Amino acid sequence: MELDLSSDQDLLRGTTARLIESMCPLSTVRRLTESDTGLPPGYLGAAADVGWFAMLVPEQYGGGSVSGRGVCDLAIVAEERGRALQPSPFVSMNVVAAALAAAGTPEQRATILPALCRGEVIATWAPGDGGGAVPAASVTATARGDTFALSGRVGQVEAAALADWLLVSARGARGGLVQFIVRAATPGVTVTPLRGLDITQRLAAVSFDDALVPAEAVVGRPGACDGDIERQLHLACALSTVETVGAIDALFELTRQYAVDRTAFGRPIGSFQAVKHQLADMSLALEASKAVGAAAVNAVQADGEDAGEIVSMAKSWVGDAGIDVAQGCAQVFAGIGYTWEHDLHLFLRRITMNSLLFGHPDWHRERICRLHGV
Amino acid sequence: MPGHAHDAGLEDYRREARAWLSANLRRREGPDPDRGVDDYTPEVMAANRALQRRLFEAGYAGITWPREYGGQGLPAAYESAFVEEAAGYVLPDFGALTITTFYVCVPTMLAHAPPGFLRGFVPRVLAGEQLVCQFFSEPSSGSDLAGARTRAVRDGDQWVLNGQKIWSTFAHRADSGMCLARTDPSVPKHQGLTWFLVPCDAPGLTIRPIRQINEVAEFCEEFFDDVVVPDSNRLCEVNAGWPVTQTMFVMERGAGRPEDDTPLEGPGPLAPDLVQLARGSGRLDDPIVRQKLAWAHTTDFVGRALGARIAQLGRLGRLNPGVASYVKLFRGTYSPMRARLAVEIGGAAAMTWDPADDEGADAALAYLRGRGASIAGGTNETQRNVIGERALGLPREPSFDTRKPFSDVLREAKNWTGKV
Repeated sequence: MELDLSSDQDLLRGTTARLIESMCPLSTVRRLTESDTGLPPGYLGAAADVGWFAMLVPEQYGGGSVSGRGVCDLAIVAEERGRALQPSPFVSMNVVAAALAAAGTPEQRATILPALCRGEVIATWAPGDGGGAVPAASVTATARGDTFALSGRVGQVEAAALADWLLVSARGARGGLVQFIVRAATPGVTVTPLRGLDITQRLAAVSFDDALVPAEAVVGRPGACDGDIERQLHLACALSTVETVGAIDALFELTRQYAVDRTAFGRPIGSFQAVKHQLADMSLALEASKAVGAAAVNAVQADGEDAGEIVSMAKSWVGDAGIDVAQGCAQVFAGIGYTWEHDLHLFLRRITMNSLLFGHPDWHRERICRLHGV
Repeated sequence: MPGHAHDAGLEDYRREARAWLSANLRRREGPDPDRGVDDYTPEVMAANRALQRRLFEAGYAGITWPREYGGQGLPAAYESAFVEEAAGYVLPDFGALTITTFYVCVPTMLAHAPPGFLRGFVPRVLAGEQLVCQFFSEPSSGSDLAGARTRAVRDGDQWVLNGQKIWSTFAHRADSGMCLARTDPSVPKHQGLTWFLVPCDAPGLTIRPIRQINEVAEFCEEFFDDVVVPDSNRLCEVNAGWPVTQTMFVMERGAGRPEDDTPLEGPGPLAPDLVQLARGSGRLDDPIVRQKLAWAHTTDFVGRALGARIAQLGRLGRLNPGVASYVKLFRGTYSPMRARLAVEIGGAAAMTWDPADDEGADAALAYLRGRGASIAGGTNETQRNVIGERALGLPREPSFDTRKPFSDVLREAKNWTGKV
């Protein structure tokens, strides 16, 4: 997707691709859909060794990027992961890493970040109400002495069933936003694994039933962490978008090859204009998705004033384009793509679900209007 | 050339260009205004020709073109350097004829035409005396360019042309047209074509502006009634016109235009034209309208991001001929959709106006114009074929006309039964 990689970044891409191919190719992804954790043994440790969770963490806590531009480096990993529909955690884990690096207390950082970088603990972000990543609408935090009582429910949290730590965005008593880094094992916190359209991802609902967390769990400034949450959303959207681009790219290449190999009426089906033109339109959608995905990554890396808008444009565009392409590929594969054994449905499921997490396209379009004060 | 001497030469060149520009040209006062065809009056054209002549006499015209034809024969880096230094100055502007002359037709001629022709013609182009339009499409052949029927018959050391051309941009402001003609209808269509340079004031040639549905006349149709051109105006070997056409296609796709290097700009304001329409129809709070506003804004940005990506692929040397079609297909797909949004958002109030309102027609005209992007310069369908076959490697469709004599193709086309 990013065209001009440094040799170190190209090495990161290659190492990531080889790790995926050796530890979790698509055949394994398929097999894992019926496993307990959805993760191959040793996967997280191997991924951590390549630096998947370290790019946005300061060196003093065991972190470090490849190019000095950690978001761009993560995007390289995200794209390769998308090509092979890799299991979580990744996006939310990196969101938590970045959030703690930016706004965590020294103790929070020292306690969590080194182990997170090594893949020894799993952290995830519970952003808000179901499916929208509208931060903090659905969990309330009530101060009680020097603790906070959390109540509410968050749906579709990535890797929550495996997580040791949850970054929770909540709404305080006076209406302002506040964030906490919470042990998943805290009494009153219930994680309910969900089944879903996307069998390649493990999402869970997290309920907070008067769960008490200490004041030391607060991340950032209560009532003044809107910017923190926005940046978390931007990072999540950028990485999720890039992962989707990788998935679209891989699926499209399978489809293009099929159109060359499959014959009917005495010639390859890709020689028929109806099929050729559909593939051309899909190819255009894919190239445009790569372009806007790269723009979003660069915008989040630069953290300028237009980052939020560009991220929402990319998320909404790729969200829609991804489903268009996946559905188009399904049409080209026709009957064979409708079988369980064919990989098409795995891509269709992931691409579709990704369009909905961290804000579905309509939500992001509305956000664009509001960002312009319209 | 030794590397060090080369670089010192380039830096000297840049410094000299900077000095000459500063002493001789006028600075631009901001971005170029949107000029329509009617802004290119004879006076404006004459002034720009004079400016072109000054560039030519100073040695800044045709910087990469061969010296024996009036150019400077320098490497591309020198042209890029000049273009960078000249960015802030007013340069010659001939509207669409700048592209057709300096980036499409004459570069194609430089690759194929006889040296004798080029020696006489190219210096006049560089001096601003010869602006060249395209006599390519015909009423019967647009996408099927090789199906041209305009006939050129040899008569001694002359050729007599009869037929019609159409959609020639700015032909009414040009001095000559690069004309594709059929010189042998008895062979398959690609094997019987030849290119000629036809002066626009040739007796028997009638050039007529076409009134478009959006009321502008950027294009012309031309009627050739026994138009005579000398054999010295023939631009290639007889019947060897198709390879020249293929070069012309590559030029048209914009290979090597240095100014396509601008970095991606930010998103800018939210679809101002549509927001204004939404305000006017009192629908700015309508969630459906808001979705359309954001979609239009997003699509505009994605189009620019795609253009920047294609340009970057070109700079990295990873452009294949099919890839440039993406930008064209994007515009051809989304321009009509975006133009339609004005109708949906603005409603009847936006599609009618007080005759006294100068800008009242804008949304309606934009709607009519929107369809043009999917047709002009290669329809969406041809772009999809190019992408499918050149970028994606999909096999070609069977064709039934490329091996038959062209005269048979024409006769049998209307009796097509689908059985071969």
